Amino acid sequence: MIRIGNASGFYGDRLSAMREQLEGGHLDVLTGDYLAELTMLILGRDRMKDSSLGYAKTFLRQMEDCLALALDQGVKIVVNAGGLNPEGLARKLGAKVGYVTGDDLKARFPEALTANAYLGAWEIADCLNQGVQVVVTGRVTDASLVVGPAAAHFGWARDDWDRLAGATVAGHVLECGTQATGGNYSFFTEIDVTRPGFPIAEVDEDGSCLITKHDGTGGAVTVDTVTAQLLYEIGAPEYLGPDVTTHFDTIRLDAHERGVRISGVKGSPPPDTLKVCLNTLGGFRNSTTFVLTGLDVEAKADLVRRQLHGAIGEEGLTWTLARTDRADAGTEEQASALLHVTIKTADPKRAKGFSRAAIELALASYPGFHVTAPPGDGTPFGVYRAAYVNRDEVSAKAVLL
Amino acid sequence: MKRPLGTIAGARSGDKGGDANLGVWVRSDEAYEWLNGFLTVEKLKELLPEAQDVSRYELPNLRALNFVLHGLLGDGVASSTRFDPQAKALGEWLRGRVVEIPEELL
Repeated sequence: MIRIGNASGFYGDRLSAMREQLEGGHLDVLTGDYLAELTMLILGRDRMKDSSLGYAKTFLRQMEDCLALALDQGVKIVVNAGGLNPEGLARKLGAKVGYVTGDDLKARFPEALTANAYLGAWEIADCLNQGVQVVVTGRVTDASLVVGPAAAHFGWARDDWDRLAGATVAGHVLECGTQATGGNYSFFTEIDVTRPGFPIAEVDEDGSCLITKHDGTGGAVTVDTVTAQLLYEIGAPEYLGPDVTTHFDTIRLDAHERGVRISGVKGSPPPDTLKVCLNTLGGFRNSTTFVLTGLDVEAKADLVRRQLHGAIGEEGLTWTLARTDRADAGTEEQASALLHVTIKTADPKRAKGFSRAAIELALASYPGFHVTAPPGDGTPFGVYRAAYVNRDEVSAKAVLL
Repeated sequence: MKRPLGTIAGARSGDKGGDANLGVWVRSDEAYEWLNGFLTVEKLKELLPEAQDVSRYELPNLRALNFVLHGLLGDGVASSTRFDPQAKALGEWLRGRVVEIPEELL
């Protein structure tokens, strides 16, 4: 059995989770997911400003705090915090580090700000087989952070489909951190989720696992909390990944005194193509929210629309009137509706001019004019799309420092 | 009896690019049998009128249904002007809808 913990479900997750997982009990490997589709865009903008950046900076802070502790306990660290610059991050760590590269396909998609293939588990396994203490990757599938260490530990073959599928399910449960232990859980009133602990998968040689967490941590691991996380961000029951296709309709969950056992998972060969996460800059956006209180809400909204259209034009504006108000209300807030407006435009000057136009209405519009927060200067926004490339167009590799 | 769906069903939702996914599960085999018959694509669209192009998948082993709401989020979270651009609370919206639930399941 290999005991694999998770200490991060996104870039911005609980900073102390790394220390909590290392101090809370025994682990063989500690993983962390830092990369959402949106995160790649954020890192892409970091990289535009400074080419030495492009990785998750919070992971460096966690390593400054915890690397010595992890090395002392013999816990391997496996994270995708490298983002767009795994080598840059790896070179900042004072340990035996391996990094995974080859996911960056910007040369193939020159119009994109970021273009990264979802790599799999085998380069992570390569790094671990060569004795590194820390593995830093860029864009790999979230589940690979668990599949790689399990495959390396047990010496699985590339066509051990059921084993790989079982570990993929373990990885899917762990990848969002406390969403597996009662965080964001529909029946939250039935358990204490004030401070849920981070999850752990005890993976067996056959790919089955026990989902659990350290003794004394908050939240819960039950069939329901695990079911909730299994349903997160999935599509058809055939869950496609770079290493295996995992059949979610074969997952079996059983309550266990220390958590939930997952077994029975079937796998089959992966598709011939790899998915690519593409982010392009879509233009600039800005927004504000007008508060419309009391009588004549529709007419008030209509007046603001006409005024703002007159000032900066209608193009690229999206309006939503949320009728959160009620008649004859007992509080001012309950008497108020919210009129949201967003501008999306290719012209940064127009996005900035939107703010001025909105604020200039302050003494010249509907009775009771105010906004929830004044609009800013406008910010660039990204457009996400997925693309698919043949496997032979991507050369993933493990590099040891 | 008329009760919010969330009285007996849990849900979790999220984003994949411009699509949202919405998983709904119940906690007994009897409840799943009812849910599977009740929560069709048509019923989902009726309860969540924003849903247009919907795929539906059955996961009886998890007593769950998974819906993919294609195109709900436009060009993805960074671009969407939708309230809740990552569809994080779509499931809780559905759980709040009042539906006719067999009394023996309550």
